[in-house]
Amino acid sequence: MSIGADVISILLNGFQQGAIYVLLAVGLSLILGTIKFVNFAHGALYIIGAYLGLYVAQQLALSEGYLAEQGVANIGLGGGFVVALLAVTVAVFVVGLLMEHLVARKFYDRPDTDQILVTFGLAIIVQELIRWLFGSTSQPFGQPPWASGPVPIPGVAISEWRLWIIAITAVLVAIVYVLVEFTDFGLVVRAGTEDPEMVSLLGIRLTRPYIVLFGIGAALAGVAGVVGGPLSPINPTAGTDILVPAFVTVVIGGVGSIRGAVLGGLTLGMTQAILIQTGIPEVLFGIAMPSMIAGYNFAQWSQVGIYAIAAIILLWRPEGLLGREVTGS
Amino acid sequence: MLKASSAAGVAVGLAGCVESLTSGNQEQIGNFPIEGDTATLGFNVPLSGPYGSEGQDELRGYKMAVKHLNNGGGWVDSQFDDLSGDGVAGKQIDWVEADTETDKEKARENARQLIERDNAIMISGGSSSSVAINVQDECQKQKVLFMACLTHSNDTQGKDCVRYGFREMFNAWHTAAALAPVLKKEYGEGQKFYQLYADYTWGQSVEKSMRQFMTDTAGWSQVESIATPLGTTDYSSYLSDAANSDADVLLLDHYGLDGANSVKQAVDAGLKEEMTIVVPLYNRPMAQAAGSAISGVFGTVAWDSAIDNEPSNQFTQAFGNEYNGRVPSGPAQLAYAQTLQYAAAVERAGTFRPPDVIKELEGHSYDNIGMGSETMRKCDHQAQRAIPVVRGLPEDQISEANFYEIVELTSADAVTYGCDEGPAGQCELGPYE
Repeated sequence: MSIGADVISILLNGFQQGAIYVLLAVGLSLILGTIKFVNFAHGALYIIGAYLGLYVAQQLALSEGYLAEQGVANIGLGGGFVVALLAVTVAVFVVGLLMEHLVARKFYDRPDTDQILVTFGLAIIVQELIRWLFGSTSQPFGQPPWASGPVPIPGVAISEWRLWIIAITAVLVAIVYVLVEFTDFGLVVRAGTEDPEMVSLLGIRLTRPYIVLFGIGAALAGVAGVVGGPLSPINPTAGTDILVPAFVTVVIGGVGSIRGAVLGGLTLGMTQAILIQTGIPEVLFGIAMPSMIAGYNFAQWSQVGIYAIAAIILLWRPEGLLGREVTGS
Repeated sequence: MLKASSAAGVAVGLAGCVESLTSGNQEQIGNFPIEGDTATLGFNVPLSGPYGSEGQDELRGYKMAVKHLNNGGGWVDSQFDDLSGDGVAGKQIDWVEADTETDKEKARENARQLIERDNAIMISGGSSSSVAINVQDECQKQKVLFMACLTHSNDTQGKDCVRYGFREMFNAWHTAAALAPVLKKEYGEGQKFYQLYADYTWGQSVEKSMRQFMTDTAGWSQVESIATPLGTTDYSSYLSDAANSDADVLLLDHYGLDGANSVKQAVDAGLKEEMTIVVPLYNRPMAQAAGSAISGVFGTVAWDSAIDNEPSNQFTQAFGNEYNGRVPSGPAQLAYAQTLQYAAAVERAGTFRPPDVIKELEGHSYDNIGMGSETMRKCDHQAQRAIPVVRGLPEDQISEANFYEIVELTSADAVTYGCDEGPAGQCELGPYE
């Protein structure tokens, strides 16, 4: 295998791994950076998206849970992936609006710890509701037929779906970026972040932009659930599992920065791919490596690696890669 | 005076002997003697984490076992002559569950609570060998019996074995010994293999045993073996490296959700077209989660409903009746069998006193749990039993009830090892009390 194929393989793996982090982190970062709301229920929105996506696109095979006890063996619409993507975007956007209106809004002026507690509680309720309804068994989420199979690049073992994830992420993040940076809606949101009092004095109500922004953040998490679902079987706890990497991405990218979330996600994905796929060769530049280290693979450091890189970045730039420095008056 | 006290001593001694003969030794050991007329069993299973699906099915097996012990039914009526279906040794059976979260420290803490707070007389559970090893260590310290459920590491009844722990499940050595001849016959000699293994005692154990048997028995050679953290969700980078390794066979030493993830992602990345994929240990929930990716994949399972004999069919029937037609998995059968084995040993001993129950279990031969003739070996507390080698069904034949076919039921004789060799060679059980 050539070095060229190795590099392509690492780049593609890094990008696709990073793309999922980005998709999760952008919504989280927007809500945290602009509305200043710590949303630990972000993972719950991801898992709602994954289950709803599976229900609309394919079907769930039920062998436990309330529905199975009622004699339902299979449930699903079989509408295909594109329909699921659209349906989940709309549905989880609405879930986000409801969440903002019924729960989050009441906690905007409360301390972070209260926000963490209420959203974490919400996440557990969603997780247990899904478990009660569908059971704990992991559900296989098949890749869309039009994107299944490996990419036709020799020496690169990646499914075509993973390239689609990179593409879908790029399009969605670009849309959100344009919305926040180049529209009146974005202007109001950004102004509200800077000085909410002044925005109110100008006669602009911040309630509506905030609820819409919350809905957009939620919809992105839901979409991440649909596009990430076919990578690994989904189960009720999958939402909790993705929460930590999503927060790490936000923090190292810089809270509130879309470009930061992208850079943070790609940094983590690339770090992981490099550590897993590289090692110390037997011979380097014609020099035989000592037997103690020759052939050593860095794979076992991949998990540690993403947290180590996060620590290094935060030591160097506490505000994150593209975050804004906050200084006292 | 001396004479009088000697006579009194003899009298007390005789009285003690008579009491011992009539009501048994009531000396405190662990949670024995049991106060009241209910004996509590502690089920320490993973209800969440990578092995959550397996844990849920184990719990179903445990609950059904307790129900049958108290009220009759299933194997209590048909396979275990020692059991009455009206409690065990004069006591009704109660149970308490705890979620290990597939975490060894949480599992140990649970075991402590089950023993100290709930007064459990026996602990059972597993899924994750590091959990089982930690829990059985705690049980040994507290002198409470541990009937291991799903744990497959060589170490559980090898270097980490304890007097108070018993394992029905076979180990990585057995799996490798059973798989190697089948794989050699199917794919021939001279194959090069690459291993990805879960980075803890179980994965390390499987990696080592597979390397040993595939090299010595099948004549294959290992290209590389890479450790992956437990709970990994994305294996794509690991798989890319494996695909570029020039190996013919990929061994995925992952279990539970990790196994479903890695095999599905390997197939999605097109590795099946370039390499043969083998998953040394899998089960029904795992195959269900992996979907069609399991098609054609060789492995071993603890037990399966497709094993056609009287005890297996009875268990499948009873489980289906209890749980809305659900087909039981290997872990459920292990949970059910281990609970009944313990209860039967208590009945034979006539007491819950742990050392007496241990002696009843040691060297016990049986043929009543659907795996043919077995012996719970005295030297290492490891059941010597047959190993079901399976292969995933073709994609169009996979259904809700059937995911794989049994290729061979390798006999215990073909995979056993002596008490002074293999994992048993490292086992020191320790004292009874």
